[in-house]
Amino acid sequence: MGVVVGALALASVLFSPHAATAGPGASLSSAVLASASAPNHRAALSLGRTLFDENCSSCHGVSAQGSALGPNLRGLGAGTVDLWVSSGWMPLANPAIQPIRKPALFDRAQTTSIAQYVASLAPGGLPIPKVDLAGANSAEGFSVFALNCAPCHTVTGAGDALADGLSAPSLHGVTATQVAEAVRTGPGNMPRFSTFTISPTQLTDVVDYVTKHIEHPSSPGGLSLGGVGPVAEGFVGLFVGVGVCVLIALWIGDRNEREDTDGHGDAHSPPGGEPPSGSEPEVAHA
Amino acid sequence: MIDKLFGWVDDRLALSRSGRHLINKIFPDHWSFMIGEIALYSFIVLLLTGVFLTLYFVPSGSDVVYHGVYAPLRGQRISEAYNSTVNLSFQVRGGLLMRQMHHWAANIFVGSIVVHMLRVFFTGAFRRPREANWMIGTTLLILAIFNGFLGYSLPDDLISGTGIRIAFSITESIPFVGTYLGFFLFGGQYPGTAIIPRFFILHVLVLPLVILGLLAGHLGMLVKHKHAQFPGRGARNDNVVGSPLWPTYAAKAGGFFFLTTGVTALLGAAVQINPIWQYGQYYPYKVSYAVQPDWYMGFLDGALRVMPAWELHLPGHMIPNVFFPAILLPGITFTLLMLYPFIEAKLTGDVAEHHLLDRPRDRPVRTAFGVATFAFYFVLFGASATDVLANYLSLTLNFVLWAFRIMAIVVPFIVFAVTYKLCKELQQTPSAGKRQQFNLILRSADGGYTTVPAEQYPGYDQPELAPVDVEKVELTADAAQQDGDEGVYEIPRRYR
Repeated sequence: MGVVVGALALASVLFSPHAATAGPGASLSSAVLASASAPNHRAALSLGRTLFDENCSSCHGVSAQGSALGPNLRGLGAGTVDLWVSSGWMPLANPAIQPIRKPALFDRAQTTSIAQYVASLAPGGLPIPKVDLAGANSAEGFSVFALNCAPCHTVTGAGDALADGLSAPSLHGVTATQVAEAVRTGPGNMPRFSTFTISPTQLTDVVDYVTKHIEHPSSPGGLSLGGVGPVAEGFVGLFVGVGVCVLIALWIGDRNEREDTDGHGDAHSPPGGEPPSGSEPEVAHA
Repeated sequence: MIDKLFGWVDDRLALSRSGRHLINKIFPDHWSFMIGEIALYSFIVLLLTGVFLTLYFVPSGSDVVYHGVYAPLRGQRISEAYNSTVNLSFQVRGGLLMRQMHHWAANIFVGSIVVHMLRVFFTGAFRRPREANWMIGTTLLILAIFNGFLGYSLPDDLISGTGIRIAFSITESIPFVGTYLGFFLFGGQYPGTAIIPRFFILHVLVLPLVILGLLAGHLGMLVKHKHAQFPGRGARNDNVVGSPLWPTYAAKAGGFFFLTTGVTALLGAAVQINPIWQYGQYYPYKVSYAVQPDWYMGFLDGALRVMPAWELHLPGHMIPNVFFPAILLPGITFTLLMLYPFIEAKLTGDVAEHHLLDRPRDRPVRTAFGVATFAFYFVLFGASATDVLANYLSLTLNFVLWAFRIMAIVVPFIVFAVTYKLCKELQQTPSAGKRQQFNLILRSADGGYTTVPAEQYPGYDQPELAPVDVEKVELTADAAQQDGDEGVYEIPRRYR
């Protein structure tokens, strides 16, 4: 029983609906894909409804009102739904554990239509942001990233474990839209960053830094060892660096005995016989 | 011409007599006696690459605006130390290679000291008369760790700054004097701007000089005492059996130096270490996850992580939690390490001179104790990566932390018992540790099988090194110059 309650409590944290109220300035140059012509829009909504009914409604309810298994999605906006579906987090097998990124079940058009359908059910929330990286300042993005993102995702974006089985996922393989959606909606354990914390310009900068420099780090100097810091380097230093040097010591130090095997006839004197010479041991007595 | 020049020098300095003595020096042959050399050679690599780095590094905490080639930093306000380190990595030819070699060499330096120390410990080479040299070696280890930490801190990047922050807190945790010590060390409030130049002068001048001096003492004592040796092949407590410095060990050591340098250079060229440009400038309000110190400080980080949140409330004074894992633990560790030769002599009552080494199995208690202690620190080292391990193993962080807390206490006892038992078993297995005699299975024409022992190496008829009786020869200048004769020289142990 306690497990179920815990599972629901966790699920409600992961899907916390306050993420919906993203604030007035949240839409950084955002645009709902409403510009599409009306018949196309209707077709998309109809497709979205079908997909939602088939894949989402068993937990979130037929009108996205939520159930014991999944939270209310009404008013969360298209951006939230797009993030959770496009990252492969949804559909989710077990609501008690943090979803992990997996290959998305739906293609782009399907994902967008689901998001639009859910957004059409109730007003509010974050539309799918449209990120324009022209003129972005990745240096400012780096600074904002180190201040706000690195404490959990690590400064190289490798991701890391948080307390109680939660984790900050790796940022490798994310899209610009997903980064913007995650910053503004705060999925799961992640804080939601309003425009007061990260301004629209800064968000563009962060997205620029993540998609350019976290995804494709400037990595001169060889193998990057996963970007998880000095413990990995220490293992390489000890087991490769010192290890190879010790093997070399074994090779050099054993050299005398090996030389016995090729050449020097008198080196093969049997035990107890003449003291060998040449490269054989020399002895000093007290 | 060259002979004349040498003659002229020798007439004035009389080097040839002592030089002759030195190059005839006999060193016992065993591969494990060469591990300490790795430390020596990586120290030389550290000096050479370090000199290169000082040409470009600016030891200053003052602000500058970055204008270099790395786009994500351009326009950021960073310290001169960080600025110059990024610039020497990206804009100085060979700079990144030198920096990476320097860092890898530091890892190898401390690592080989530890492995060398393990060899000395498990073979009992620290016993009389070598107690003082053991203590010098321990001091070298401590200084190497300290200097490694200082060097790691100099670039002033996000991760090293976090390390300095922790070091400041650890200093503050020392009862009664901690706050004053911290202020004294940092020249005021944390972080200030004094710490980079102070660490710099300690890192590049003071500590290397002390290390160099102690290293000279370490090697001088080695020459004075003569190297300890394993029994067998005529080796006794009162002689040295091995090969002479010239030419055998000069060639080996020369080759080994180049090979160690080569390993360092390969690592420096092929494996990235400490990519500071990805970390950014350190500011006290910025921090990254998955941050650990270099491995040799790892046991301290691990101890800090696994330590339960206990504090000691004395009347009028509180001993903070940090004090126990970060000051008390290393304090006890290095004190016991320093005094171990005397502790063992006290416990065993064995105060005799030992020039013959123990096989680890023959001292099961010492061996088991050493392995168990090492296991304890290895568990603490592992605990410095609780978060990374939890992430990679998909376990909860809390579980990993508790696992390390339990392992830190339980593993040493298990390791002690297993090692002790293994030693006892090995003692009773005469063939253990000897070369395996392989068998050839032959099938005859009528289908029968026969087994015959195989030859060790083709033409090698001495499969095991048995003690050999050797004759004594007085060491004279004539004898020393004889080449290829019996090769048996007498060298008195001079310290007697």
